[in-house]
Amino acid sequence: MIRQWYEPLIFSEWMRRAFSFLNIAVFMLTATVVFSEFRFDWFETLVGGYLESTNDSRPETGAIWEAGKQTANAQEYLNQIINKREDTRQIAHQAASFIDLSSSLLPGEWVTLEKQQFKTLYMALEKSMAVKIMDPVQLVWLLNGSTLDRIFCEGSLEGIKVYFIDSENRVIQQVDLKKEDLVEIENGEKPLAGKLVDMDGFQGRIYSPQNFFNALFELPGDIIPDLIANPKALLRQEGKITGVGIWNEAKNGYIKLGFEFEQAGVKQIVFVKGREWAVWQLSLNIRRNKD
Amino acid sequence: MNFFFRSMKMVRFCLFLSLFLVSLGSLTGMFLVFYVTKDLPKLPSPLSRIIETPQTQIFAANGQVLITLGERKPIHLNRVSKAFINAIIATEDHRFFEHHGLNKLRILKGLYVTFFHSGKVQGASTITQQLAKNLFFSFEKTYDRKFKELLVALQIEASNTKQEILQAYINQIHFGAGAQGIEKAARVFFGKSALDLNLAEATLLAGLPKSPTRYNPYRHYDRALKRREVVLKRMAQVGFISDLEVRQTLLTRPELYHEQSDSRTGSYFLDVLIKELIQKYGEDVVYHGGIKVSATLDTRLQAYARQSMVTGLERLDAMMGITKEQTDHPQGALVAIDTGSGAVKAMVGGRDYYTSEFNRAIKSRRQPGSGFKPFLYYAAFKDLGFHPATILTDKPVRIPVRGAADWKPQNFEKRFSGDMVLKKALTYSVNTIAAQLVEKTGPDAVIRIANACGIRSPLQAVYSVALGTSSVTPFEMASAYSVFATLGVMHDPFFFWRVEDAFGRIIFEHIVQEKRVLDASTTYQVVDMMKSVIERGSGQSIRQQGFSRPAAGKTGTTDAYNDAWFTGFTPTLCTSVWTGFDTQKKMVDSNRVGITGGNIAAPIWGDFMMNALNADPERDFPIPDTIRFEMVDTTTGCQLSGENERQDGLVVALKKEQRVCKDGEQ
Repeated sequence: MIRQWYEPLIFSEWMRRAFSFLNIAVFMLTATVVFSEFRFDWFETLVGGYLESTNDSRPETGAIWEAGKQTANAQEYLNQIINKREDTRQIAHQAASFIDLSSSLLPGEWVTLEKQQFKTLYMALEKSMAVKIMDPVQLVWLLNGSTLDRIFCEGSLEGIKVYFIDSENRVIQQVDLKKEDLVEIENGEKPLAGKLVDMDGFQGRIYSPQNFFNALFELPGDIIPDLIANPKALLRQEGKITGVGIWNEAKNGYIKLGFEFEQAGVKQIVFVKGREWAVWQLSLNIRRNKD
Repeated sequence: MNFFFRSMKMVRFCLFLSLFLVSLGSLTGMFLVFYVTKDLPKLPSPLSRIIETPQTQIFAANGQVLITLGERKPIHLNRVSKAFINAIIATEDHRFFEHHGLNKLRILKGLYVTFFHSGKVQGASTITQQLAKNLFFSFEKTYDRKFKELLVALQIEASNTKQEILQAYINQIHFGAGAQGIEKAARVFFGKSALDLNLAEATLLAGLPKSPTRYNPYRHYDRALKRREVVLKRMAQVGFISDLEVRQTLLTRPELYHEQSDSRTGSYFLDVLIKELIQKYGEDVVYHGGIKVSATLDTRLQAYARQSMVTGLERLDAMMGITKEQTDHPQGALVAIDTGSGAVKAMVGGRDYYTSEFNRAIKSRRQPGSGFKPFLYYAAFKDLGFHPATILTDKPVRIPVRGAADWKPQNFEKRFSGDMVLKKALTYSVNTIAAQLVEKTGPDAVIRIANACGIRSPLQAVYSVALGTSSVTPFEMASAYSVFATLGVMHDPFFFWRVEDAFGRIIFEHIVQEKRVLDASTTYQVVDMMKSVIERGSGQSIRQQGFSRPAAGKTGTTDAYNDAWFTGFTPTLCTSVWTGFDTQKKMVDSNRVGITGGNIAAPIWGDFMMNALNADPERDFPIPDTIRFEMVDTTTGCQLSGENERQDGLVVALKKEQRVCKDGEQ
């Protein structure tokens, strides 16, 4: 049944309608809700409880979680540095030669070497080559007579830098090892294409192989190993020796010897080093044989 | 009657409209709650997780902890003074124990003020809301952020007790000066625990979180006291204290703790160190990585440096007639470097870090004046073959400058003394002779030597560079003079020896490398001349102070008395001191006489060095084998013998091949 709404015509009708049961109930309910909220904060409690129930499914965002992430980032970064250093340390400690050591250290990377390891690497070199890195007497002083605490190797663009450091982190001695020098130290100088006569420094001191070896074999047996300390380079080279030259200068107690090889018409010179005093003995023999 | 009916109609319309709007609002609110919830941050449980970030510690050279970055000293509520808890509650949220996260009446008031009083914004955040904001949100003011903060506050209230919330709040609020949390703040500002704070101190601290910089009591003590007054009155309104207590407390001026103020976040040295660490490893590692840094700073020397600077500047104030009430005070800087390694042992960047954080030791480039002459003399000895007994004439000089007016340098005393040996010229800082030398060497030679010694500031290739007209920092001067102290060996200056991670694994180690940049014999000759500066020249006030160790140095004062320097060294420690105004302003005493480096910087240097070295054995500079000594006449440069030795003679250091004329040979 549809009842047509009409506007009350008299005051009492207005009042009756205004204070109807429904209106009073709605008003009371609204007032109760509002006042109970102000009194008991049930809305806050309700929302708070709801949010608490959803806590685990929500993202870890905001300043405090960011701080946690920054901590994690920092730890990761630091671990990366440590792990990389540990890898480098292991590779460096397995190095069998200075070349190995050099190739294990990128520019800026460093590793601390045990005294024993440095000694082992050093002693693995031929005497004539080792002296290029450091005089053996100086190494004895550094390892046994100085205030040395650690040996610190740092990679550089050119090769490696070796710092001998005391307990206060002061550098007692620094040795810079260039890559090309290391290759030369390990393998000897590369054979050079050309003839001895075309090279400065050998002028007037070039001999036939026969003269050279005759004079050499006249030397006492214990001198010969000092004359050609590292014959590997000569043994590696193929061809026939056509001449031997003696350099006109001594360096670090050694004199350079040049062996001219010929193979298939191509001439190459292989350089080795001989102890200064042994070479002088040899020169005397050559001169005497000539006379 | 018609009016009544119309009114009733309006009332009815309003009632229905209100009901509609309330319903709509409620629905919208519910929708927003559900909608926003998924983006709300998760709450850590328990709330105390907020203090689990690993702390980065920086240690001094003697192992003392200089600073802990990210340090919070969380404490239980019962370890905090009741006065502080009442003060913070009265100030920030006096209905804290009554509400469930929101103070609705305050929100309504805040909304009313915000909407109906243009330009005014009324804050209405409860302590819980502030905690929510500090833990999860940025300080960006948006309605979205505010709504989320409100919801998080409701959750915090739902899942924690009031005590837990209050405890978390007071343990994470910022009080400024590097203090986070009440325990740290109590220790930083008053040197005591939070439990021992009295009402005057507690209320001062409770006023700081509103604006830690604006109310920083180290810088704005009176402003902080005004803020404290607000806190006290608020406590009285709320009923925590009586009006009598307010009046009594207002009469007290809490004494701030200054003992360690140079070893906190703020110290000039630590600022430089932290900046360098950040450049090397990034902010995450420095502030959140829990690294351990071994700094070069020696806390004993640092304390002496600070004390010497404070005393010296007070003396300067007195000389200039500047009272404490005046705002424009001269400043100072001091840098001390271990000559054998380059380690920076002490650094003072200004009068007081808490009034000015500007680090004058590193950032302030000032003209060094005659402090640059040692580089010139070295260049003249090396390039021209001159030596300390070489004779030049102190006379008016006019040096033509291409494309500019002639250069006519003046002596400080405005008089000329005729012929003299170079050692005397440096001892008494004769400008005309320095000008003749630079004319012969050329400014590039001076710049080359200064650069070799570590001066990195741009130097102008003009003659006057030899008289120190290009600006440099005290740090550079200390570093460059260290090269003289080691007779030509350069050590790069540095601030930390070692960095380790939280597990003690080494991340970085500083290796002390030596670089010979100057010839030892020539450097010794300059050092011997610089010793004479202290013995009888412009730095002799140092000897009058009682500093008797072998030492060398040089004063520096700019033409307009804007800058006063003394940089000097013993064989082990090199220190540079600068004083002057931040702006280009003359330093003159009450008789309008200019204040020189010898008057003010040298005494600060002497005071510091006496204390710094008091426990060390006395050492002299090593004499190179190639050096011999001769007594010469200061005006002829000829060797003195017999009775003449006692007259106007100076002992000069000469290289073996350098000859001087015999007495009467001139």
